Amino acid sequence: MAAESPSSVRKVVVHLRATGDAPILKQAKFKILGSDKFAKVIDFLRRQLHRDTLFVYVNSAFSPNPDELVIDLYNNFGFDGKLVVNYACSMAWG
Amino acid sequence: MMDLLHWDGTLSAKDFRIGAVAFAQKWESLNFAFPPWVWVPCPKHPWLASPEEEGYLSMEKICISRLNEEDIDQTTQIDTDEEEASCSGNKDVIDDATLVQRNHHELHYYDFHIVYSNTFRVPVLYLRAYCSDGQPLQLDEIEKELPTCSSKELSKSKWTFITQEEHPHLKRPWYKLHPCGTGEWMKLLFLNDTAQPKFEVVLELYLLSWFSVVGQVVGLRIPFKMLNDR
Repeated sequence: MAAESPSSVRKVVVHLRATGDAPILKQAKFKILGSDKFAKVIDFLRRQLHRDTLFVYVNSAFSPNPDELVIDLYNNFGFDGKLVVNYACSMAWG
Repeated sequence: MMDLLHWDGTLSAKDFRIGAVAFAQKWESLNFAFPPWVWVPCPKHPWLASPEEEGYLSMEKICISRLNEEDIDQTTQIDTDEEEASCSGNKDVIDDATLVQRNHHELHYYDFHIVYSNTFRVPVLYLRAYCSDGQPLQLDEIEKELPTCSSKELSKSKWTFITQEEHPHLKRPWYKLHPCGTGEWMKLLFLNDTAQPKFEVVLELYLLSWFSVVGQVVGLRIPFKMLNDR
């Protein structure tokens, strides 16, 4: 389970998973404050992959709104003590 | 039974109807922030009995207003009588928050339609916005209100862009979120679903998953209880 510190600021373990032909990150697991917004995860991914165009989604066939709190996403879609966030890169579009 | 690995992420018109009805039912029972989606039939040949009813989902007169710097996104629907009562007249219906905001902004209304694209074989979101006097909003005004809709934000997601096109059933200009690429990301969504659903379940959930992506562009959020209900 996510560690609960004395100040009860809860961190969530996020596991970033490449799908499609997206590059795999060297550092795919990290901790983030539950009170942070999902936008922070998306921005982190964008910076790590040097790409703006990302499709980010979780294992229940849905793409979270960037304003969602990470802790809410973990509580609803996390399992095995972590939140798995899938990402794919730009696909054919036009 | 369709195998997800070989599925291209698209739907037949008949499956769209099944998915649309499932989505609308789930929305109505679990999403209390918004009015229900209504299925509007548009039979191609009304004089023939057709087992596959063509139509679209409609959710209209959504009032999206920005209150102040604290920026609470608030959506309310103003009930209209038979003759389209203007918002400013319904003082009893509008709560205090909207009254305060009304002094600074004109209230804007949004109509959303989910229409099936025969070309791309996927749902497409059409929208239009207008003032209480019916005057339509242009895209730049919509972008001010829905910043996630702006070309800057959209180009970040690169999944879709907004064009003005003729509504396929209503024959009037609406804004449309371009659907290309939809099949691909829909397939990804379900391929990586840990529940590994059968196609019947995919159909039930298709519009919901689709809307989780597309709804973000217009600032509409799906509550978790809708997503957890499977």
